[in-house]
Amino acid sequence: MFSTHVTKDISAYCHGELSNEESKQFAEHIISCAKCRARFEEVKLGIKLAEQLPQLSAPDYLWRDLQPLLAQQTTASNSVSWSWQLKAAAAVVLLFLSGLAAFLVYNSRTPEIAATKPSWHVTRLDGAPRIGSEQIANNGQLGVGEWLETDGSSRAQIAVGSIGNVDIDENTRVRLLQTEPTEHRLELARGKMSAHIWAPPRLFFVDTPSAVAADLGCAYTLEVDDHGGSLLRVTSGWVALELKDRESIVPAGAACETRPGIGPGTPYYEDAPSVFREALRKIDFEHDASALTALLDQSRPRDTLTLWHLLARVNGDDRVRVYEKMAALVPPPSSVTREGILQLDQQMLDTWKNELESSWTSGSGKGVPKPIKEAYWKVRSGLSRRLKEMAPK
Amino acid sequence: MMVAEQLIDGRIIEACQQGDRAAFQLLFETYKDKVFSIAVYSNGGDRALADDITQQIFLKLFTAIQQFRGESEFTTWLYRLVVNACMDERRRRRRLLPWGETVAMKKAGERRPQEKQYARLEVAEAVQAAIGELKPKFRLPILLKYIEGLSYEEIATVMGCSKGTVASRLNRGHSQLAKRLAHLNNPAVWGE
Repeated sequence: MFSTHVTKDISAYCHGELSNEESKQFAEHIISCAKCRARFEEVKLGIKLAEQLPQLSAPDYLWRDLQPLLAQQTTASNSVSWSWQLKAAAAVVLLFLSGLAAFLVYNSRTPEIAATKPSWHVTRLDGAPRIGSEQIANNGQLGVGEWLETDGSSRAQIAVGSIGNVDIDENTRVRLLQTEPTEHRLELARGKMSAHIWAPPRLFFVDTPSAVAADLGCAYTLEVDDHGGSLLRVTSGWVALELKDRESIVPAGAACETRPGIGPGTPYYEDAPSVFREALRKIDFEHDASALTALLDQSRPRDTLTLWHLLARVNGDDRVRVYEKMAALVPPPSSVTREGILQLDQQMLDTWKNELESSWTSGSGKGVPKPIKEAYWKVRSGLSRRLKEMAPK
Repeated sequence: MMVAEQLIDGRIIEACQQGDRAAFQLLFETYKDKVFSIAVYSNGGDRALADDITQQIFLKLFTAIQQFRGESEFTTWLYRLVVNACMDERRRRRRLLPWGETVAMKKAGERRPQEKQYARLEVAEAVQAAIGELKPKFRLPILLKYIEGLSYEEIATVMGCSKGTVASRLNRGHSQLAKRLAHLNNPAVWGE
């Protein structure tokens, strides 16, 4: 069914009208097909717009104006004629019943709507997870706005609609913020979760106290500590960590930390030397520019992932030093100039990045799926611009 | 299907069939906003015309409900009446208006600039205008989906077409909305 393009199924996918198997096949196709991905983004915007269409309120006078017409029809179809006294009495009764009916309709809506609000299925894996104050037996439903909490001996798994699963580890607290065709969003207040998402980029988000993790078609773990800092480890695909204008793109095999008030740090490969990682932590979270020397000394070709992000996060001489180290490790293509990179020219940054990616994916045994990567850069072509905007003036 | 509609069970419909005006008012109160919304959006935002169409639909419903045998969902049956009424109105207007002339909703570009905090309201207005410019075969599935909350299966039954056709028309409707309102694909517009 999905060996050819899937553009005709995009709305059905977003509205959950495809079966689980069809949804998986759809996602697999779309992350490897630029044409369908472009249409997907377009339809997604269309859905987001259509969702803004408000239901209007019919004017109050409609029923009043309708009643004589109904009466005419009744008269035409029923020759029984009432006296005016009977009509008046009936009108009084009708008025009372109308008010009562309207009251009943109004008052029955709210609780019933609340009872059928969107929710995700939760499966107990260990112990006694809770949704709100209720302990779940083997299965439960996590509604929008509700918290799922595990203690030291319990774990749970959440089915994220038809696009993936999230395992919730011990001592974790998560809340379902939104589940819409174009956006699914969890809040991870503390603890650890592992996500495996088979969906096109940017459908699944996790809010933490110090950043938002945007899924780009991947698997990853995310931990939040008691101070609101977080650690992201990507096991396949890509994840973007964002806070306002600060953004880090983390491929498989790499990690990235975040801090409250600062946002995402710079991504790095976990097999980088400890001196490199310690220096990066000082640069990111202690504003210690002197650590740059140690970091550059320890950099390997694949650490250009870190250096590429740093280009826009340092300025002046430090940017020159980062550029020179990168150029020594992976020379830029002929179309990329030193001046262009130092001025954070978006096109040149992107061109060089494309060249660098082969070094990012080598050496870990965890290849970065090219289609997802391309999807991200096409969809989020504004990254370089944003990096440039956040550069120190 | 929306929850309020679940109140309309067999007993209410039976009471309506027996001419129970209070039961019919319950029916009216339950569906009036949805019917009115579709009438507005299907007729270029003309609320006065939508008033008339809504009244006509409920008037017709009052008589036709005698023939409802419960062989299909009541909502499906009702929305078929709504869709037919809107299509009839469109046919009538096409006969009356010169080619190309419509009573289209005010376009987004004609509106005066608003404060940023009204961004979402602006988006809603722009969407309403763009919906009004879609062809009925793309507009009606969108209205049935987003105003009535119907499934593809239900929309297919209401419109008398296949589920695949509904999927295809929604797809094209969404794409056309996105193209017409591409300028709104900007976080600032959404107040984000």
